[in-house]
Amino acid sequence: MNEDMTIQQDRMRFEKNTASSRLALLAIVFNVFFFISIYKVNNSAYYTFWMGISIIYNLVFMLAAFLASEGAKNYKLGYSKLLTVLGIGQIVRIFILPAMMHATLVSEKIPQIEQEIVILGYHIPVMMDNVVMPAGQYIRVICYLALSALCLFASAVINQRKSKALAAHIANLSLRQA
Amino acid sequence: MAELSLQHLDKIYDNNVQAVFDFNMDVKDGELIVLVGPSGCGKSTTLRMVAGLEDISRGHLFLNGRDITKTPAKDRDMAMVFQNYALYGHMTIYENMAFSLTLRKEDKNVIHKKVMAAAEILDLTNQLNKKPNQLSGGQRQRVAMGRSIVRNPSVFLFDEPLSNLDAKLRGATRREILLLHKRLGATMLYVTHDQTEALTLADRIVCMSMGHVQQIGTPMELYDTPNNTFVAGFIGLPPMNFYPVTVKDGELAGQGFSVPLTEAERDTLSDYANKEIILGVRPEDMTEGGTLPVDVVTNENLGMNTLVHGYIAGQHGLNITAKLRGWKDYRNGDGVKLQFTRKHFFDKDTTNAIRKGAK
Repeated sequence: MNEDMTIQQDRMRFEKNTASSRLALLAIVFNVFFFISIYKVNNSAYYTFWMGISIIYNLVFMLAAFLASEGAKNYKLGYSKLLTVLGIGQIVRIFILPAMMHATLVSEKIPQIEQEIVILGYHIPVMMDNVVMPAGQYIRVICYLALSALCLFASAVINQRKSKALAAHIANLSLRQA
Repeated sequence: MAELSLQHLDKIYDNNVQAVFDFNMDVKDGELIVLVGPSGCGKSTTLRMVAGLEDISRGHLFLNGRDITKTPAKDRDMAMVFQNYALYGHMTIYENMAFSLTLRKEDKNVIHKKVMAAAEILDLTNQLNKKPNQLSGGQRQRVAMGRSIVRNPSVFLFDEPLSNLDAKLRGATRREILLLHKRLGATMLYVTHDQTEALTLADRIVCMSMGHVQQIGTPMELYDTPNNTFVAGFIGLPPMNFYPVTVKDGELAGQGFSVPLTEAERDTLSDYANKEIILGVRPEDMTEGGTLPVDVVTNENLGMNTLVHGYIAGQHGLNITAKLRGWKDYRNGDGVKLQFTRKHFFDKDTTNAIRKGAK
């Protein structure tokens, strides 16, 4: 068992941290799903200042997450912090644009509209708030952001553990050689 | 354990060109066999037939008594080291060496142990994270060998692995292959056109020419008792000198020269009285102080020895190269008298060696 652990740690000297790297890339994918969903709003042009910030942040996020993915692949401990910060950012984003869009009415004059929801094959007409982002879409974008955040946190944790284990192993090898 | 048996192997291509004729050989466990010969003699084709990369047109191949003639290459339990290394440029050295085991879906820890063991044998431990283009030719060839070692095959096959290396690296890598063979004790088939490699590496040599096996034997046997003029001329550096001579009155009469025969040599040539044969003399089997006059053309000083190139006196068609001990300062036009300390005799028609009592 002990020998297996040592071999596993030694393998990290020559194998990349693909688990951490791929999780970071998956976070980017979920983020893509998020901004594809959010920019396709309900026939309303919700072009505000926050939308502009969101677009810029998406670009920065994807670049940073990709860099962090490459850094994590090479067991760079510092990138765990970046991954964590990006994960927190994804959580915070839930409460900004999606929340605003879900709370904003399309038109004050028509505060509610009849919509049909389908439950177990039954079509049920209900009166729903006539908001920029309907409930279904709102839940979806929250899920995408949450999943993205989860992947980033997982990537950060895995990178942290593996990087520390590798550093300890290399230090141990250097001591033995000395 | 790996004993190979090649029985009556022929290789005939679709255009009816036959590259290998009736190749027969038994390889004992742990032997290093070198197939040597000029380009196009069929040595690489034979190796590829053993590897399974070429179909065997006729004959059979056995490994440990099992007929593997029709067995696909991947199932033959053999590993091949190519002339051009055949490494994956986008993978690290570690990944290259682990690749075959990764394909076999072996446990990652087991793969790691095997790769590290092979890397230690080949002194590649500090190179494992590099890519092939960051290594020298010799290191790349060691990686190729390491990739074979990790598979722990029954037989190692080397296809001119040193041809792409410079002379200095060739010598160093040759020694490493020899050490590797001693360390692993594995059965190895090695193809080369370089007779120095053959002589230094082989337990036994297979000398080939134009698809035919000329002689199989230890390096000493091929050097000392070559079967024919081809083997005699191919093995040994500088190559053997050949002269057409007639056996007459107890001596060999050449064009403008004569060479005395010993009692034993007369006995060997007893069936060739007054007949023409081919006299072969190695450069290192000549000394000064004889009766054969030689006009010197050039001198090559090698330190302990000197290569003297010239003509047997007055005969510009009869070149001679002698390897004399010591530092000599002969110049163009100087004369020197040589004697032969060892002679080889070959039948003029068959080119086969004339041995005692044979015709």
